[in-house]
Amino acid sequence: MAAALSVASDPHQPHLLKLPPPQGAGPLLEEVRQALGLAGLQGPLSLICGDWQLRLPDLEALQTLLTQQGLTLVQLQADHPETRVAAAALGLHLGPNTDSRRDPNSATTAPALTVHQGPLRSGEHLQAEGSVLVLGDVNPGAQISAVGHVLVWGRLRGVAHAGRHGDDQATIVALQMRPLQLRIAGAVARGPDEVPAAGLCEEARLVNGEIRIDPASPRWPLRGIPSLGLNVGPSPSAQ
Amino acid sequence: MTATPARVILICSGKGGVGKTTLTANLGIALARLGETTVVLDADFGLRNLDLLLGLENRIVYNAQDVLEETCRLEQALVKHKQEPNLSLLPAGNARMLDWLTSDDMKKIVGMLAERANFVLIDCPAGIETGFRNAAAAAKEAIVITTPEMAAVRDADRVIGLLNTQGVAPVQMVLNRVRPKMVANQEMLGVSDVTDILALPLLGLVLEDEQVITSTNRGEPLTLNGSGSPAGRAYMNVARRLRGEEVPLIDPSRERRGLRARLMGKIRRTTGLF
Repeated sequence: MAAALSVASDPHQPHLLKLPPPQGAGPLLEEVRQALGLAGLQGPLSLICGDWQLRLPDLEALQTLLTQQGLTLVQLQADHPETRVAAAALGLHLGPNTDSRRDPNSATTAPALTVHQGPLRSGEHLQAEGSVLVLGDVNPGAQISAVGHVLVWGRLRGVAHAGRHGDDQATIVALQMRPLQLRIAGAVARGPDEVPAAGLCEEARLVNGEIRIDPASPRWPLRGIPSLGLNVGPSPSAQ
Repeated sequence: MTATPARVILICSGKGGVGKTTLTANLGIALARLGETTVVLDADFGLRNLDLLLGLENRIVYNAQDVLEETCRLEQALVKHKQEPNLSLLPAGNARMLDWLTSDDMKKIVGMLAERANFVLIDCPAGIETGFRNAAAAAKEAIVITTPEMAAVRDADRVIGLLNTQGVAPVQMVLNRVRPKMVANQEMLGVSDVTDILALPLLGLVLEDEQVITSTNRGEPLTLNGSGSPAGRAYMNVARRLRGEEVPLIDPSRERRGLRARLMGKIRRTTGLF
């Protein structure tokens, strides 16, 4: 997979250059040069780095290359904390860090993770602008909704809504999934009637517009949240 | 008057009819019998009937409002129980003054009561509106009573959430009207189903007992005569646990067997006949 370039139709809007996953890709400058080709593009450019780990010298070299081509690097979206730090040091405008699976044009991704400790009781409604992690049970009658993912380190027995603003890649993960109702983006599903096997962490996501519950993949859905001090590894190469 | 600060305990449930007032009356009597100076405050003044359950209806002259307005002294408004002098009742008001009692009023009156008692039990109105909020504002700790029904558990859960936001702690729970037979047949929520959701320490487990109804009608709480009724014993145990005694909880699955089955089992074991 090569880097993908989408040319902006409006001259005031930046062109978008999305790098391929770092695994199996060539050196950064080669990838960029290849993607830009001989199109002779000019104007502002926004770079979507995904999981690339770019240090200050890498970014400076990239800027030089782009300037030579008549392009200005105006924005950078990065998931890797080091890349974000380097970009900030260069004074580049940092876009929200995205999950590489997401549509880069959607602005629904928020980096923040809200952590709620303790049970969420009947009648309580927890709303989060980013993703939300509940350390406790979500009881029947309680509701939880997030723009990003919903993660429940406990029993989910209430109503959960992930991707409130329409992000269909959002997931709902719970140690015990017994919801009254699940919502992901615009889809709604009643919870399963049978009680799940104990000790099985499950994950709900949208598959072809329908909510499906599977055993949760051993993958932390949130990346690049250094504020938690989490040592989050890169995503599997399958993505 | 008392050296240690009084324990001000709110008895609430959210849903109506699950046994708040019955628990308040029985707990009041039980604590008094254990030697604690106890005051029960009927905060359910819209639909007050704690006085009825205690058999004190015809002795009420003043109420908490009269005390606050200084038309009487607190001693005059407190109605001492006939048989248990350690227990007295203070009605908050009468049904016609539905909106006079603010949370400040409640705090003031509870503060006065706390000076003269070891335990102040507040019988909370059903619901989660002003009456509940005002009563909760005056309480330090709470007992949430619920029955093993989804609606009652759901409402109790809501109430616990509100108590947490009001800073009332600790909150413990009493599970009322458990029918062991139905639980065994999985027709009713079990104890663990309820504790799973509410996640509170279980202060007591009260089995369904018809004698509660007759005692309520007579105005003599079950804990009063020390009878061996199952509910009466359970309420007494709640009082003991409140005071810090270790009293084991009954096991409803073992209470399931009736007297006859237990006798037969005994005969079977001793004679080896069957």
